[in-house]
Amino acid sequence: MPAGEKAERPKSGTAKKSAARKRAAQRVSLTDALAEAAWSEADAALAQALADFDEAETASTKGERKDAIERLGQSLSRAARKRGLSRSGELEKHVTFDAGEHDLNAAVAKTPKTVRIQARGVTRGGEVLAKPRVAPVERKKRT
Amino acid sequence: MSDWTLCIDFGTAYSKAAVAPTGAWSHFDPATIRPLMLSAEGQNTFLLDSAIFVDEDRVLFGRAALNEADAQADAKRSALRSFKTLLSVSDLDRALNTNAPATIDPHRIFQMRDLIVLYLAYLLASIDRALLADPILAQGGILRRRYAAPAWRSGDSAGMHNVIVRLFAEAEAFRTTVGKRLLSPEGLSLRTISDALPKALESAEMLEMGLVFEATAAAAYTSVGLEGAGSHLIVVDMGAGTTDIAALARLGARTIELPEARVTLKQAGDFLDRVIANRVLESAKWARRPEERAELWSVLMRQMADIKEAIMADGRATLRNQGRSISLSLREVEKDEDFRDFQKSLRQAYDHSLAVVRDDARARGRSEVQAIAVGGGASTPLIQDLIRRKMESTRPRVIPRPATPDWAHAREFRGNLAPVFPQLAIAIGGALAPDSMLAARGGIIPPANDRSDIPVERD
Repeated sequence: MPAGEKAERPKSGTAKKSAARKRAAQRVSLTDALAEAAWSEADAALAQALADFDEAETASTKGERKDAIERLGQSLSRAARKRGLSRSGELEKHVTFDAGEHDLNAAVAKTPKTVRIQARGVTRGGEVLAKPRVAPVERKKRT
Repeated sequence: MSDWTLCIDFGTAYSKAAVAPTGAWSHFDPATIRPLMLSAEGQNTFLLDSAIFVDEDRVLFGRAALNEADAQADAKRSALRSFKTLLSVSDLDRALNTNAPATIDPHRIFQMRDLIVLYLAYLLASIDRALLADPILAQGGILRRRYAAPAWRSGDSAGMHNVIVRLFAEAEAFRTTVGKRLLSPEGLSLRTISDALPKALESAEMLEMGLVFEATAAAAYTSVGLEGAGSHLIVVDMGAGTTDIAALARLGARTIELPEARVTLKQAGDFLDRVIANRVLESAKWARRPEERAELWSVLMRQMADIKEAIMADGRATLRNQGRSISLSLREVEKDEDFRDFQKSLRQAYDHSLAVVRDDARARGRSEVQAIAVGGGASTPLIQDLIRRKMESTRPRVIPRPATPDWAHAREFRGNLAPVFPQLAIAIGGALAPDSMLAARGGIIPPANDRSDIPVERD
């Protein structure tokens, strides 16, 4: 400040608080920065998935549709990996039904003993984000 | 106010840094780990492009250097990258005193040493900015510095420590002289550099800085906080250019490397890229003309990271080229003769290293060896199958550890550390490792810390 110039004195504590606020605003929280870094590549994969989905919707032949759906699955898997998600279970595998571990994907009168995995579960670290979806194993009809 | 340990990881493409409270090894709390936001640009602020570009009248750093190199690519100009490769050569002094090639320095005024010092000064300035921007670290405290380096490349990393610390010291002196101008997106003028650099080189004072081997850093982030952390570790690191295997043994407070277990294979991620691209070219019967094949090759290489990831993780990848859909499965890749040769060499190398580390563990009366995979190829089935293979003899047991440790999923990070953990792993592990795990300190190499000729004894 040039000599002799008189500055308006802010009310007590205001300058300190606003400087602190300014500094805090400049400091990006570590969690936010980690989130942005983690999402940056997942965003690109999700954008790709949306485009693949449109191609699947507008496909004119079965072959084109199959290809587009395959690429859609690939983009979604990539987005999931970039977010640290992984799948649990094996498609079509027959397992003993556990109400705590499985989502039963059918209306049944009696709880099934054995089920087949229709859709794998999704986990992150030790946390289950989606349980595997299962359906009762259909008994072969006697002829 | 706390005391902190900072570790710098010189990646081939990016530099990273992380800070942990000193003593985090014995009182571990994941929430106290602070990866540093080194870059002011881009969505991933934790990655600082390892690049320097000598322009007509200025020198640019990081992302700005790469952008300018791209803009001037037609004029056969390029940025200097891969400092890590340069710092790993056996005759480091000679490499540092070599003049930079004309594509990198058209003025022919810089030696490689000068360019490395300039980049290190930029890195140190970026670290300083990141420390000030971090609400916890900005409160101050004593900061101890160390850097991570590979232990198994052609030279002796511990022997090179004095040279590297000297480079950091010169960089620190240069940074002090030019100040914040180093971080300007417009770069530094050649005049500023020619004025300040010679003085900085003369006035540099020795720094207190530690060296932690990358394998040790991997061991640190894998076993920190684990009560049953084993004494012996085998680390498989598949990067872009090489696949390195190393073994470590923790003996009381010390960590030693077992040099007989050290193996480097010249096939790694880049080799897999070529195998995949060749398989696709073979199956693309419609691409017969050389220009069609060249076009397909270049499309494949541009998308290779995604293609490879999908093949390795999902067992299959599909891509589009000129309206055609091309698919390749992991099974097809595994049929490739070059791939099978690599798989065989990798298995032999791993078996050799594992035998060395298991013998050492057995001789010291230990019952476990932990197996860790690091680097870009850590999660590929090739490497995961390797470290999860059943052994013929059961003792010492081999326990595979996940590429991302469980603590990286801690609630404090709200699911955001684990996805970026592989990129920051070595910096974080290096910051967590206790002093006893260092390969060298303060420009002085501790005797026998990286040798395995310590008599076998139970401890």
